[in-house]
Amino acid sequence: MNVYISCDMEGTAGICSWKQCDPSDVHEYPVFRRFMTLEVRAAMAGATEAGATRFVVNDSHWSMRNLLFDELPDGDELRVVSGAPKPWSMTQGLDASIDAVFFTGYHGKAGDCATLSHTYSDSIYSVCVNGIACSEALLNAALAGSQGVPVVLITGDRTIVEETMRAMPWVVGVTVKDAVGFSAVNSLTPEAAREAIRAGAREAMTRIETARPFGFDPPFELTIETGTVEHADFIELIPGFTRLGGRALRFTSTHYPTVLQAFIAATRIAAAADSIA
Amino acid sequence: MEGVAGVCAPEQVDARKPHPEYAIFRRYYTQEVTSAIEGARAAGAAQMLVNDSHGPMRNLLLDELPSDVRVIFGNRKPFSMVQDADGGFDGAFFIGYHGAAGDLDAVLCHTYTPSVIYDAHINGVRCSEATINAGLLGYYGVPLLLVTGDRTTVHGVQEQMPWVHGVIVKDSIGNSAAASMVPQAAQREIRRAAQAAVRAASGARLFRFDPPITLDVGLVTAGQADLVATIPGFERIGSRNVRFVHDSYPVAFKAFVATWRLGSMAR
Repeated sequence: MNVYISCDMEGTAGICSWKQCDPSDVHEYPVFRRFMTLEVRAAMAGATEAGATRFVVNDSHWSMRNLLFDELPDGDELRVVSGAPKPWSMTQGLDASIDAVFFTGYHGKAGDCATLSHTYSDSIYSVCVNGIACSEALLNAALAGSQGVPVVLITGDRTIVEETMRAMPWVVGVTVKDAVGFSAVNSLTPEAAREAIRAGAREAMTRIETARPFGFDPPFELTIETGTVEHADFIELIPGFTRLGGRALRFTSTHYPTVLQAFIAATRIAAAADSIA
Repeated sequence: MEGVAGVCAPEQVDARKPHPEYAIFRRYYTQEVTSAIEGARAAGAAQMLVNDSHGPMRNLLLDELPSDVRVIFGNRKPFSMVQDADGGFDGAFFIGYHGAAGDLDAVLCHTYTPSVIYDAHINGVRCSEATINAGLLGYYGVPLLLVTGDRTTVHGVQEQMPWVHGVIVKDSIGNSAAASMVPQAAQREIRRAAQAAVRAASGARLFRFDPPITLDVGLVTAGQADLVATIPGFERIGSRNVRFVHDSYPVAFKAFVATWRLGSMAR
């Protein structure tokens, strides 16, 4: 069994501040990147106990160079995708050769009452596909689904775990913390979280046979609301986007990977608008 | 602004890090524009729109312009240097233009974003800013009548558009020096040429690219191409080269703007 792990950071046990997730921070980030790495390792350990033989781990947070290689298991059966920008960002390397997907350290979508909630970029106020409000988990799950691959595990705070399980009832969710607003949490200890993740991963492997690839119905209509008008000004430059309003745009395609690609390009070009004109 | 008489160094045209020289040269820039307006007026031009198209696009000294024109002022316009080209104009002037990225003997040559664009071709034609911009004007039925700048720039435009009147205000000596007319002489010459160009407008032709429009952009780094290639519709044709094909020139133009806006985000 070939397991793909898209590992984010904000949903790691104990994390409650951007300081802990910001690679330029020299005090808190080094501690929490280790906790992130150990949660990934725990998920791998549980999966291995339940029959996983190969892993692709895609570092999916910020610079995407967070994982401590020394803390990952040794072996030829593991590939680590590291660095940014990657064309497929949080789903780089997720193809039909994968049997199941894990999302670890995931967080709530932009606008959720959840710790460090956002969707890919701070310039995104909200994003919907076919009218359904999307988290990163949902957007990425649909990419996996387009390859015929199901998601079977999500770890993170209660908001994202419960929302994802509603959309994909076959998914095993491991809630490592409850949000107390945007910048505080009521959390398991890292050690307890790792135990829960290991058990969750074991259980998730048993769901693969009954799990379903997640997808929206084609044609796909991507609608984006941006934080500012300037973000939308820049996104409108991308061929295929239609301006719906000062801070609203639409992109349609019958091919879901193109939709995700358009969304990722939108987040990247919007960031160029953040400097003063 | 780079093609204004006397300009030969980045400090003279950098509005973001204002240098004492910038204040001097933005006045010459404004005066060259004013001269072109006066010349066109003398030949009967009734309405004029001036699009500040340099740097942050807030360079013109507004209180030194003739009071009876409209001005497009400010940055981040979707059609950038040719914003509102679809306004039903009878002709266009390019003032203060400069050579394409890579041109020999062309002061401050570049194509839109020097740190991102190595070169650009449309339907196989090597493009300066003048080429790309004239293509949008041509699409909307507006002929280019006048270009001012250094010899390399003016000749480059006239090779592609022989009907265009030109004012060579300086000869570039490499990228950072020029043998130039003094500003007052350049302004006189621009006024005269603008008048002649408008009088001869009926002989001008439209510069158009035939669809499908194939935009080939060479980026400066492979990392920039990584980013641009993620835009749906773009094809990676080389480590530092991307291609975009579309039937609509305005769509291709905006895709070019997206290319350097997104490319500038590469780390």
